[in-house]
Amino acid sequence: MRVPGLGRLFRWRYARPVLQVPLLAVSVVMIVHGLLGPSLAPKNLATTLTWLHFRGALVLVLLCAGNFFCLACPFMLVRQTARRIFKPRFNWPRALRNKWISVALFVLILFTYELFDLWSSPWWTAWLIVAYFVSVLVVDGFFKHASFCKFICPIGQFNFVASTLSPFEVKVREQDVCTTCLTKDCIRGRREPVSDLVVIRGCELALFQPRKVGNMDCTFCLDCVHACPHDNIGILSRVPGTELLGDSLRSGIGYFSNRKDLSALAVVFTFGALLNAFGMVSPVYALENWLGEALHVNHEAPVLSIIFVFFLVLEPVLLLGLAAWLSRAWGGIRRAIVPLVVRYTYGLVPLGFGMWLAHYGFHFLTGLYTIIPVTQSAVASLGRAFLGEPHWTLTGLPANAVQVVEIGFLVLGLAGSLAVTHGLAEEDSPEKPLRAFLPWAGVCAVLWVASMWLIFQPMEMRATLMSG
Amino acid sequence: MLMIEHEINPQPARVGPVTVTLTMTGPAARRVAGAHVTVEADMSHAGMSPVFGEAKEIEPGRYQSQLSLGMAGDWVILVHGTLTDGEKVEEQFDVKGVRPN
Repeated sequence: MRVPGLGRLFRWRYARPVLQVPLLAVSVVMIVHGLLGPSLAPKNLATTLTWLHFRGALVLVLLCAGNFFCLACPFMLVRQTARRIFKPRFNWPRALRNKWISVALFVLILFTYELFDLWSSPWWTAWLIVAYFVSVLVVDGFFKHASFCKFICPIGQFNFVASTLSPFEVKVREQDVCTTCLTKDCIRGRREPVSDLVVIRGCELALFQPRKVGNMDCTFCLDCVHACPHDNIGILSRVPGTELLGDSLRSGIGYFSNRKDLSALAVVFTFGALLNAFGMVSPVYALENWLGEALHVNHEAPVLSIIFVFFLVLEPVLLLGLAAWLSRAWGGIRRAIVPLVVRYTYGLVPLGFGMWLAHYGFHFLTGLYTIIPVTQSAVASLGRAFLGEPHWTLTGLPANAVQVVEIGFLVLGLAGSLAVTHGLAEEDSPEKPLRAFLPWAGVCAVLWVASMWLIFQPMEMRATLMSG
Repeated sequence: MLMIEHEINPQPARVGPVTVTLTMTGPAARRVAGAHVTVEADMSHAGMSPVFGEAKEIEPGRYQSQLSLGMAGDWVILVHGTLTDGEKVEEQFDVKGVRPN
């Protein structure tokens, strides 16, 4: 916030809408081009921007900065505009104040992505964006605060988990200032002295700044920054991943170790990263065909369901259960198996993030310049080729150079996961930390070897499976 | 009405060089000779390098192009043609399941 230019922008109350408007305009263009433009994915803005540029830029910004995509979220701009007319009346049901729905939606998106080959269909991609806008309007039209962001949005949950590894965080500068603060505007909102009407909103995600720990559930909306009368909240640097260590009480979240839903989210984030990459390499087709023949099934859905259950349920249960059991037996940790698993799943997040970075970074960097000919083509289709004829030969960086970057991301992820799980083992078993750590190091090694194997597999992009 | 039939060799197509042979016929199944034909191959995923080739007329109304497919998976072949009278023709067909080497 003290960076010249940027600091001034973020302090400005209208910083968020200024960042949201361009993304909203891009979203509208993507929807229109997806529905009315070329049906071929590489020539359409909806598919090119969504599956190459948005995903790639998202993970790189999360790695290098923080959750700035939630800050600039165009869905929230539409919601905010709609809320000028329709005021939500209900509170989000208490029983649903957890991540289970969003975990299910996260899995559903990964599943439909493979089943309907969303990446190859501009039409489906456009409808996915439309569905997102409609869902936001419906959920936040009925329910107060940021119910959609906190309890529903699968992209948001992805960002929350990944941003635990970001180098920046929205946090308090001086705790002493908060101790003497009487108004707590960061959570209650800044109010008019006489009418008590909120003029600047407090945190909609129930994160009370003085007791907030890390980036989990923080959309970087900057409401707290603008509401604080003491200018005591900023976007501050920190050591990435530190919030995955320790188990203090976190405002708006509670204890990580008590949150099975958050742990499930971390599992889907980590194992889903490998599964999503597995869907794009040659061996997946051999596996699907083998399963199809073995089960005498011609449809993709049941075969894909089996693969998803194996990779997102059975594999994590076996690997993490075994590691927890060994960790207890060797390290003398006194926690029960399930709480132990819940605690250590957060330690695998760096590995998962490394795989997402490697996968999405590959597509982003090898297809970096494709946005140029696709935009030229879209403009030319309007009858005004003022950007010139499309240069379809423009693609991106060479794949072999990008593979080095991919390996770097995976090594970074492994180092992060080893550091976090070792830190947790030191806390749990001060006398025998190495013995408590070794089983988790084994899990990290298995996932890392699997990730490395994946990036060296020949890519195979089919919009049809089970074709033999 | 103009029709474009296509053949891909080898079958099934594999990563590496493939030969695309096109047969253009007009009304009464008469071959359409003398057209300028180019061929473009795209993957079904955005961000992959397209492959371009010029098709040579190997006999009247039959055009052949060599393309080098760089990745396994589903490809889409786009045919761009200009007939002798200047009329433009476009055709698109799928080459599904190109096998890895």
